[in-house]
Amino acid sequence: MGNKQSVFTPQQLEEFQDCTFFTRKEILRLFYRYQDLAPQLVPLDYTSCPQVKVPYELICGMPELKDNPFRQRIAQVFSEDGDGHMTLHNFLDMFSVMSEMAPRDLKAYYAFKIYDFNNDDYICAWDLEQTVSRLTRGELSAEEVSLVCERVLDEADGDHDGRLSLEDFQNMILRAPDFLSTFHIRI
Amino acid sequence: MLPDDQVNEIVVEVENVPAGVRSHPSPNPLFQERTLLKPSFSMVSSASDVDVLDPPLFSSGSDRKCNRLLRFSASLHESMSQTVHSPECTGADGPCASCETIQGQKLIASLIPMTSRDRIKTIRNQPRTMEEKRNLRKIVDKEKSKQSHRALEFNCCAQCLSSLSLGYRRAKSNVSELLNSVSLWQKTLKVIGGKFGTSVLSYFNFLRWLLKFNIFSFILNFSFITIPQFTVAEKNTLQFTGLELLTGAGYFRDTVLYYGYYTNSTIQHEHSGVAYNMQLAYIFTIGACLITCFFSLLFSMAKYFRNNFINPHIYSRGIAKLIFCWDFTVTHEKAVKLKQKNLSTEIRENLSEICQENARLTFHQQLTRFSAHVVAWVVSTGVAVACCVAVYYLAEYNSEFLKKHRDPWAVLLLPFVVSCINLVVPRFYSMFRLVERYEMPRHEVYTLLIRNIFLKMSIIGILCYYWLNIVALSGEEIIGMRFITSLGLQEFDIARNVLELIYAQTLVWIGIFFCPLLPFIQMITLFIMFYVKNISLMMNFQPPSKAWRASQMMTFFIFLLFFPSFTGVLCTLAITIWRLKPSADCGPFRGLPFFIHSIYSWIDTLSRRPGYLWVVWIYQNLIGSVHFFFILTLIVLIITYLYWQITEGRKIMIRLLHEQIINEGKDKMFLIDKLIKLQDAEKRANPSSLVLERREVEQQGSLHFGERQSTPDLRYRRSVQEDSTKA
Repeated sequence: MGNKQSVFTPQQLEEFQDCTFFTRKEILRLFYRYQDLAPQLVPLDYTSCPQVKVPYELICGMPELKDNPFRQRIAQVFSEDGDGHMTLHNFLDMFSVMSEMAPRDLKAYYAFKIYDFNNDDYICAWDLEQTVSRLTRGELSAEEVSLVCERVLDEADGDHDGRLSLEDFQNMILRAPDFLSTFHIRI
Repeated sequence: MLPDDQVNEIVVEVENVPAGVRSHPSPNPLFQERTLLKPSFSMVSSASDVDVLDPPLFSSGSDRKCNRLLRFSASLHESMSQTVHSPECTGADGPCASCETIQGQKLIASLIPMTSRDRIKTIRNQPRTMEEKRNLRKIVDKEKSKQSHRALEFNCCAQCLSSLSLGYRRAKSNVSELLNSVSLWQKTLKVIGGKFGTSVLSYFNFLRWLLKFNIFSFILNFSFITIPQFTVAEKNTLQFTGLELLTGAGYFRDTVLYYGYYTNSTIQHEHSGVAYNMQLAYIFTIGACLITCFFSLLFSMAKYFRNNFINPHIYSRGIAKLIFCWDFTVTHEKAVKLKQKNLSTEIRENLSEICQENARLTFHQQLTRFSAHVVAWVVSTGVAVACCVAVYYLAEYNSEFLKKHRDPWAVLLLPFVVSCINLVVPRFYSMFRLVERYEMPRHEVYTLLIRNIFLKMSIIGILCYYWLNIVALSGEEIIGMRFITSLGLQEFDIARNVLELIYAQTLVWIGIFFCPLLPFIQMITLFIMFYVKNISLMMNFQPPSKAWRASQMMTFFIFLLFFPSFTGVLCTLAITIWRLKPSADCGPFRGLPFFIHSIYSWIDTLSRRPGYLWVVWIYQNLIGSVHFFFILTLIVLIITYLYWQITEGRKIMIRLLHEQIINEGKDKMFLIDKLIKLQDAEKRANPSSLVLERREVEQQGSLHFGERQSTPDLRYRRSVQEDSTKA
């Protein structure tokens, strides 16, 4: 691929390529997707590293994220300040981790952060309740939800402290071969 | 009362410190202990495939996150032993900044000695933001260039090598970009994945994978067999009617589609003087095709097995997996709603199963269930056997029938009956569901699959037997059967559709020897099937309601494709080539007593030429001798046994480590309780004294430093607990 693009310097592209799981072409394609979200906000020239953030509402309006029950948490986890507004770097990070080339450990780490709603580095019962209610969208009753959370903690809590640490989560993911293919957003 | 002679402080953090509160920087002694203790704790080799995590080591509250980041570093163990105690470790900076520097220093120290490929891989796998990764990369590059400035004697070589590797990486990424852009149906698959989820997508991926196989086979056959044949083509005298498209008989009989058309001579052109032996070309091309299929099947199967390690001990049914494995690829609104509904149903089923599990079935109920299963199996096997017998007698009758009736439609009788059986009997099997009760819905699915496979494979077996022993070589029936089977739109049941694909591919492989362009027909069929299934999916919009474990399913399907299907075909072909007499008046092997004699005569010719004696030697001593294969099999068996034992050993290690994690947790709770009791006692005794600084617990290691060094035993904690109760 020739150096015909004028969005990034070759050095920047090389850096992006080394820091994400994308090729040069994919990075450019992702940039144009990012730019399409807010054409007035995002300049077409990133050689000077402008500090531009696309607001959360536009990010969550993307077709890939629009109907995802966890879109808010995804945006919060990958954004710069945890508020959901993403710079280009955050955007690339997000899709790099959610791509199919990312290894299981990396995905498990970020999945853990996404399901940790109160950001205390543990998935406690309240986090689980939030997760389950988003997954089932009102179909389950309150007792069923709490029963489910109890069962999950029973199954996955290895050190029996009443909440899931990152290690418990990773251990459980090891037993779920589907995780790698389902924790994946195609772009 | 806390003992004064304890070298190490006990620092405990109460668990309810709110997030975002930065704890105080850790005192130096704790850091020193940590860096000293880690090397003694590395238990697992870094080369293991299984991602065994380090046992939870002690860490202070502020750098718990940084400690986790550390675990992702690939060569952590090596770096730990040569950790340089950083001069910036004063503890006076903001806690996370200082810990970041320390952990960052360690990471950089471990990255520098790596090759550039490993370095990039490690940086990519770090759970850090883009800026951090770029900084890391810059720092490592600077350090690396500083070091390479010092190593003057290797300067030239190192530069050469690094620029070579850079060029190679660029070339590889360009090639992969090119391949991705050529990839077929990328957009359509994305839409399907978005609407229906991963499990349905796995069917289409399987279809695309089979298509690639067939394209490759077709190109190979076409270039090496058909094109030379075209150069000596004869005129086709038969008439063309529309029926041939369905049956493949008639007009097509005298075209390159059929084996009978190919010449048995050595094609020779006067101009070039190059001789092209058609017999050898035929056997070798088909052989190369099948060998490539064999290896790619083997490697795909191994890859899927490895990624999904189907280990019945580890794989447990559980509700946690349902919760945490939401399919993020589903993007369509209706699909998401449907998925949510399905998930709720599945959760409810799971909850009720668990409740039911606790209620054991009475003996009477168990007996009823067992007898229902037995009856169902007997009936299904009986039906399958009856169908096979019917097909066999029909096949025998078919030859007389064909002689009596010269109607071209008569050829379709056998394929029609077989296809009807394949359509009707699986539905009959699904009705058993009403009678049989299973503990897990998964068992029901597997049983259904196994019954269907048994039926289909036995019918194919009977037909192969019939063809091999009775009939001469003709590919008409194969083609006829396949065209008819591919008709018939059904509701989208993944298992049944995949079985159809496997069945069709088996037929192609069987027929490839007698109809070299069969992959071409299969290609067209697969193409059409893709669009037909796609359209029917979009129109029905009824994704499968059963929960399919997509990754496990793919492994299972490929295994099915390999084991009964491909190996069966290989056996059939082997019997054909070694035992059957080729037809005397058509085909490239006419006149030979067996197919294999073409190879024998070639070896004979070669043995008369002095330059090619090594080929003859290889043939006689390696391929033709039994000893060689015996030794080879023995070696393969030994290697398999060794790998199996390694796996068993690792399973044991995983179990022990898991137990250790549980015990560490119990230790932690015990120590927290004890400390709280002691502090309460102290408070009551001396209410005005300073409260101990509270920090994160996990330092039972620091308490028991001495014991750990001396007794590297996994069950040390028992002795430790006894010690602490005495204290």
